[in-house]
Parts: sequence; structure tokens; C-alpha cells
Amino acid sequence: MEGYIFSNLVALALVVSAGFALATARRSDLWREAGRTIARRRPIALGVVLLFIAIGLLDSVAWVDGAKDGASGGTLSETQPRTVVDRFFPADFKERSYSAPLADAEFYGGASLRYPGSHLLGTDILGRDVLHLTLKGVRIALLIGGLTSLIVIPLALVFGISAGYFGGRSDDVIFFIMSTLNSIPSLLLLIALVMVLGRGPVQVCFAMGVTSWVGFCRVVRGETLKLRELDYVQAARALGVSNARILVRHILPNVTHLVVITFVLLFSGLVLSEAILSYLGIGIDGSWGQMIDQARDELSRDPIVWWNLLAASGALFCLILAVNFVGDAVRDVLDPRTVREDV
Amino acid sequence: MKGLGVAAVAAICAALTACTNNPYPDADETEKVRYRALPAPLKTLDPAVSYTSLEHKITANVYETLLEYHYLKRPYTLMPALAEAVPEPRTLSDGRVAYTFRLRPGMRFQDDPAFALGEAGRTTREILASDIAFELSRIADPDVASPVFATFAKIDGFRAFSEQLKQRRESDPDFAAQRIDRQYAAIGGISGVRTPSAHELEIILSERYPQILYWFAMPFTTPVPWEAIAYYDGQEGRDFFKDHPISVGPFQIAEYRRRSLIVLTRNPNWYGALHPQWRAPGTVYPSEGEAEDVERGRLDADLVGKPLPFLDRIEFRLEKETIPAFNKFIQGYYDASGIIQESFDKVVLEGGLSPDMAKRGMLLEKSVDPTISYIGFNMRDPVVGAVAGERGRKLRQAMSSVIDVEEYTRIFNNGRGVAAQSPLPPGIYGYDPEYRNPFRVTDVERAKSLLAEAGYPGGVDPATGKPLHLSFDLGDTSARGRVRYLYFVNAWNQLGIDVEIVATNYNKFREKMREGAYQVFMWGWIADYPDPENFLFLLWGPMAREGGGVNSANFDDPRYNALFLEMKDMPNGPARAERIRAMRSILERERPWIELTHSENFALYHGWMKNVKPAGLSLPAAKYEDIDQVLRAELRSEWNRPVVWPAYALAAIALAIAVPGVVTFFRERQ
Repeated sequence: MEGYIFSNLVALALVVSAGFALATARRSDLWREAGRTIARRRPIALGVVLLFIAIGLLDSVAWVDGAKDGASGGTLSETQPRTVVDRFFPADFKERSYSAPLADAEFYGGASLRYPGSHLLGTDILGRDVLHLTLKGVRIALLIGGLTSLIVIPLALVFGISAGYFGGRSDDVIFFIMSTLNSIPSLLLLIALVMVLGRGPVQVCFAMGVTSWVGFCRVVRGETLKLRELDYVQAARALGVSNARILVRHILPNVTHLVVITFVLLFSGLVLSEAILSYLGIGIDGSWGQMIDQARDELSRDPIVWWNLLAASGALFCLILAVNFVGDAVRDVLDPRTVREDV
Repeated sequence: MKGLGVAAVAAICAALTACTNNPYPDADETEKVRYRALPAPLKTLDPAVSYTSLEHKITANVYETLLEYHYLKRPYTLMPALAEAVPEPRTLSDGRVAYTFRLRPGMRFQDDPAFALGEAGRTTREILASDIAFELSRIADPDVASPVFATFAKIDGFRAFSEQLKQRRESDPDFAAQRIDRQYAAIGGISGVRTPSAHELEIILSERYPQILYWFAMPFTTPVPWEAIAYYDGQEGRDFFKDHPISVGPFQIAEYRRRSLIVLTRNPNWYGALHPQWRAPGTVYPSEGEAEDVERGRLDADLVGKPLPFLDRIEFRLEKETIPAFNKFIQGYYDASGIIQESFDKVVLEGGLSPDMAKRGMLLEKSVDPTISYIGFNMRDPVVGAVAGERGRKLRQAMSSVIDVEEYTRIFNNGRGVAAQSPLPPGIYGYDPEYRNPFRVTDVERAKSLLAEAGYPGGVDPATGKPLHLSFDLGDTSARGRVRYLYFVNAWNQLGIDVEIVATNYNKFREKMREGAYQVFMWGWIADYPDPENFLFLLWGPMAREGGGVNSANFDDPRYNALFLEMKDMPNGPARAERIRAMRSILERERPWIELTHSENFALYHGWMKNVKPAGLSLPAAKYEDIDQVLRAELRSEWNRPVVWPAYALAAIALAIAVPGVVTFFRERQ
């Protein structure tokens, strides 16, 4: 299957899943009320997060239409799929090298541009539109946060609930694994894993997932230790309900709020971690981290090339700040220990 | 009390006015001291091992060799140094080739306590032919792990000596514990290295290899006394030899702090200093050079024939960061500097010095290094290689025709670099400045038609109906590197070819190259010596990478191979030039490489530096350089006048705050 078709299917599946999750949540008073409270408390942050998600999804939907790259007279672009985000820009929206935002001429040398005054955030060393590159980075940031969370959360839930509920030998083994992983500097482990697995979005997400689940696992284990002693769990046991049923019916639903809170808080940390990996030369191609890494030399140029760094770090800052605001609101709403009076 | 306050203020003012940013505490106005920045600590100064251009900045000036390059002549020309003459090859009756070097008698090593090992109380001794034979034995010694072993293996008996030494050490611990020179003697030395007399060294090669002479102008073949190796063994507080060179050159190491400072001072035992009456070529300033040298004042009458060296002292200071090092250069605290990319536009304007820099009296010296960077095709690959026949050839020609290397150097290297038309860079025999490779002229339309002729119209592979997919293997995973490589990928995309960058770390890249698992790659070469053989052998069939050689393209053209064998041993002349032209036309047509650039070095010197001529090869240049230290002191003081008013203002504010408090304190106490 072509890569872009797979991407289209994933985007479709995500939209359908999100719709289904929303419909389900609307039927629950708790989730409906929580959603309303978050929207009321952090409308701008929520709007920014939704905007980023929309851009990421639009950049995942692609098709081939035979558009020609007039700049190069090339034919490769005719056979290459272009996403919805790509289609906001002309196929040949390129210059020869650096140009400042909205400039009419090249930054070094002063030669005329092909698209004078059109590059809102300027162009990079290869003449690529920086706004376009920044928007392309949204999908990668969401992929890093989303896919890695999908690895971290099941791992942490399985190990944390097993350790907390069953205790004894399984707790010892899982705790030993957690302690061992915790004793290895996570950045070194991450680099080693990427070296072994190779570079690529899936490999990097897997490596980040493997090194990030321990903290959440500890929280889940602690919560499960508390839950298993509660009356309704003890009653279910006394009535002879199987362990599997107790876990699914009584434990798992009661740690779901932790999953939501952790997902939101983990997300921003993961996106930042990728930026650090890119700085070390093992990040994902096209990410904001890579744009920031490329901009390192540009800051010491004379005259300075600032727009590449500003665009990537600005987008990173907006996403992380918005996610953190939303995350705080989610925690306030869902965590019983932090529920405010106005909820 | 009042008097004390006034004295304190006066002391602060005096301290402020005496402030200086001069990093050198010692006075350097009476001595000719040259200051240089080192970007990284040196790993070794052992001449048998040291192989980096950074280390050669020291070793080339400390270790004199039998031959050396003429300082000013280009193409590079050999002249005698420790030897009395450049030897001529003699073909022996059995086909082997011999060279006999005659050392000048009466030359001495620098003073060093190591020589007491040979005779109590002795601090130096005469340089003998056996010291060079000893160094050649060290290159063969497997424990030394010299990087140039393979080159010297052309000396008769070299490999056998190495193997015998290894076996004997493994089988006989007593032998391995013996002093190093005795071990070499017990094996019987290298059969192709003889010392018929104390001042004669005979080298016998098992095959013709005229380029061997260039290696006798490099620090690998400097005389090394056995006493130095035996004494500097790292035991009982003594240094290791790699950190304690014993000089035979114009300078000796006076101070060696690996992570901060290396100081060279004149070597009073250097043969130029001991025997000025000889007026040996390497001990007096040259009288010949190029027309440019006359224009630049490098052949002024007051210089020619003057005894060398001019400098009294050279200080190398570790400066890991380029920007502070460059700023110190601008302030006058380093005498020369490269141009960092970040400040290029501030320093260079339209190929010359910017008005600001010219006003400071700086000099800009440009030189093309004997290097080549290239994109190579794996000729054993079924798509891009020779296996694909005409189809592969046209594909390579098309890919070569869309790379605009001038644009590449403009964007990424500030225009530094000469667009390469063939493997041979300027300054190397066989380089033809008029030659234009038809496949190195950017012509997208022609490339498209070549691609169509190759059977990939519009870049589409008829076998799949999709764009032809190729992998571009690189040993650099950095984001900055990736942007450079994307430049080439974008160029190939114009043809409709889909080229994927496969970046791995350098070790993995080398592993892939060894295994032959690549299609397109990028690499480069820095010459060891100025001979076309040192470039053209990179495409010689028997040197194929899969066989462990340096021919990464695995190019194996019978006609090219035959021409190479004829050319490599020939003296420079019309016959050699004709063969080089024939080889060049084969490469032009077959396109195993897309030649990119010969790197260009832009060096900045302050106006007080004299007689400087940049060289891409390892030359003992420091002995020819001179400085006007008085002018330097004047300009430094003019450029670094302390701006003290902010300090005065700060002191005044501090006093204004403190005085009322102090007054109140004393008033209340009373």
C-alpha cells in the first residue's frame, strides 16, 4: 500500500474515533460537564490545540494530482502526493536561498526573488518557505506526542495495574524492571535505542515510549494499591468475581482519569524531548527540533538569520503552552484531589 | 578616615585605568613571538603516528626531514633538507629500485636528558642515517600502529620485518622485554633499508614508486633517536614519547600543556643554526618563487638569502570555540585566522577584504587545497553501476549534469571552493585550467534527454511505472548536513528521480561502504603529496573498496587501469600529461564520480605578518614567517583601548549608595 493512502486511512480512523469518543462522552454527565468546564476555563488554549490538530490532520490527507513544480521544471512532483497543507502553497513556492520575511530580494547577495513579498516567514538556506516547513512540523509534533503516548500508556497500565493489584512476586519483578530502567540515564538509553533501531518516526517514538513509561506506571501502581483495598473491590472478590472482571470493571475505569491527565502532560514533554534528540542529530526529519538545530549556525551569522528559529520555536512554544494549559484544566476537572469549587 | 576614602577611590581609579584585555602576561615587544590558536588538543606528536593537519602544525616545524617542499614554488617542488641532495632512482639488476640519501655530517638533535642513556652525561648526539632507519622500523612495528604502514610496505622486506617482530614478541617474552632498538637489531632490520655508512641511507623498493620521495618530506620519516623511545616510556614520572618530541628542526618544544598551551622556541642545535656557513636550501630564505610572490613582497631583496628562522617563539593556545578565537584575532591577539562562516560577509566583500578589514591593514591569502569532494556511484550496483551498461552510464551522466556546484558553494561555503572538473586540483601536475567537463556544466534539459536515452523518461522507471528510486548514503546524521544533501536531492528531483537520503553515523557508513551496500554516496580526499597518482589511484580497479582499497566507486575500467599503471611511475612530462588526459576522458564519459569542489582556503593575516604563503600540504612554514612586533604592539594598544567610563559610572553609583550608609553608621556610633 502506498504510504499516503495509509496516512489517509489513519487520518480517517482518527477522525471517526474522535467522533465516536465525543459521542460517547456526551452521554456521560461527568465527561460532558468536564468538557464544558475545560472549554469555559481555557477557550483560547483549547482553540489552539484544536487548530494544531486540524493542521496535523489536514497534512495527513494527501493525493496525487500531477501538479508540476514550475521552479525546477521537475516531473517528480507530478507523481508525488501532496497534502491539503501543501496545497495552500504553490507547488514551486521556492527561492534560491535565504530571504527574510516578506522580502523582495535574497538576504545575501540581493538577487530578486521569484515570489517577492510572499514568504510570510521568509525562506531557509535551500529557499524553502519557512511557514510551509513550520506547518509541516505540526503533524510530526502530534505524531511524536500521540504515537509515543499510545506506547507509554498501555505499557504503564498493564505493568502498573498488574503490580498494584496482584502484588507479591509480580510486583517485585515489575518494580525491579522499573528501578533498573530508572537507574539508566534516560537520554543515554534513548540515544542507544535510536542507534540500534535506526532513525525514523516509528523508531524514535518507540524509543521514547520505552524510556518514558516508568513514571506513569508508578502512579498507576499506587492508585491500584489503593483501589484494591476499597470496599467494592473487596466485595466483588468476596462474591467470587474473577480477577479479570474486577480489573476491567472496577480498577481500569477508576484510573481512566489518570490516563487522560498523563496523556496531556506527557505530550508536551515528548515533543520537547524530540527537539533535544534533533539537537543531538538523531531526531525526526522535518521536525521543529530539526529546524531549531539547523538554525544554530544562522544565529551567529552576520547579519543574523532569525526567522527560521523564531518560526520553529514559536510554534513549539504555542503548542506546548496550549497543551499545558489544557492539561492543567483537565487535571483540575478530573482529578478528585484538585477539583475546584466552581466545577 | 577621610584620607583613607580618598586613597581607596584613587586606588580603584588607578586599577581601572590599568585594565587591559591582553591575554599574554609576558612582554612580547622585544621578541618575535607568533601567536596561533589550536581548535583541539593534540592526540600525539609521535611522528610515526601523527597524521592530522592539526598535529602537523607542530610536527612539521619540530621534525626536519631528509627532503622538504620549496616554500614558494608551485607546483610543489622537492628540495634537499637534512639530505645533501634529492636522490635519483637506481634500478637494480633484479628490477628493484634503490634510492640513496646522503645526510649532512655534523647535524645534532636538540639537547635532552634522554641521550644520557647512550653515554653518561651526554645531552645530544649527531643525527645519523641509522636514526632514520630506526624510524622506518617503528613505522613497520605493529605495536606502533602507524597509519602509513601500507605506503612504506613497498620497501623491500618491510612486511616481513613487521611479521617477524610480531611473531617473536608473541613467542618470546624475554625478547619483548628488550630495549626497542635491540629488538629491531635482533630481527635484522628491514632488508630494504640499509646504512652503508653513518651518513648514508639506502632504500630499496620492491617496485617502482617514485612518489616515495614525497614521504621523505613528511614528518613520518624524520630521524628519531632510539634513546628517546627508550627513555620516554611514561615510567617514573617521565613523559611518553608522543608528548615529548626530540627536535631536529628549527624549533623545539619549550612547554607542552596538552589542554592549554604549546610553546615552541628556536632550537640552537638545528643544522641551520649550527652550520650557517652551509647555506643549505632549507636554512635560508628562498630566492625563487612565482610572479605572485614578487607582487606580494615575498621575494624582496632584504629577505632573500637571510638565515632562518625569523621567529623566536611560537605559542599555540587552545581555543575550542571559533567565535572567541576569531574575536581575539580581530583584537590583534592572534596573528592569523581562518574566516569563520558566520563572519564571512563581515570580512570578505566581493572576493576581497571588506573596507573595515582593509583599514586595519589585514591581508587576505587564498589558496586551493589539494583536495577533492565528490559524489560517487557504486559501479557494481545493477542500476547506477557499470553492470547496467549504457543505461547506467547515461543515468550517471544525467545526474552529473544537474548538479550546480557553483550555486552549492555560494549557498553553503560562502563561495569558497573551486568547481572540480576532474579529480585533479590546481597545483597538481596534470591539472588543466582550460578543461571543462561537459557533464559538469549544469544543463537540465540535456540531462532530461540523457535520462530518456537511459530508459527513464521523466525519471520514471519502466519496470515499476514509478519514479526511479535511488538511495544516497551518507555518514553524517546532523540536521545541518542533511540540508546540504537535500540540495543535491532537490537537483535530482528536477529529473523526476526520487533519491532517498540514508544517513547513518560515520562508522556505520564505512561498514556499508566495505560491504558494497550502497548506490550513491558522497566523500572526499585530501592528498598526501602533490602528485596526480595520489588522486587518480582513487579510481584504479585494484583499489576497489570491496577489496579494502580506497576506490569507493568500485570503478574498474581496463583501459583506465592500464593507463594508470603507465602514468604512475612516469616523470612529469608530455607523455605523462597525455596519459592523464586519456584517463580524464574515460572518467568524463563513464562518470563514476560527480566531481564537486576543490576546497579553497581563505586565511586572514594581520599587516605585521610577513612572508606568509598558505599551503595545503604539511610544510615547515613557520621558519619562513616573520612578524613586526613593534607594529603589532602599537596596533593592539590602539584597537584595545579600555572603555572605562562605565566602570567609573558604576563606581560613582556604588559610592553614592554606600557613602550615606557609612556616614549614618558612624554618626550613630558617635
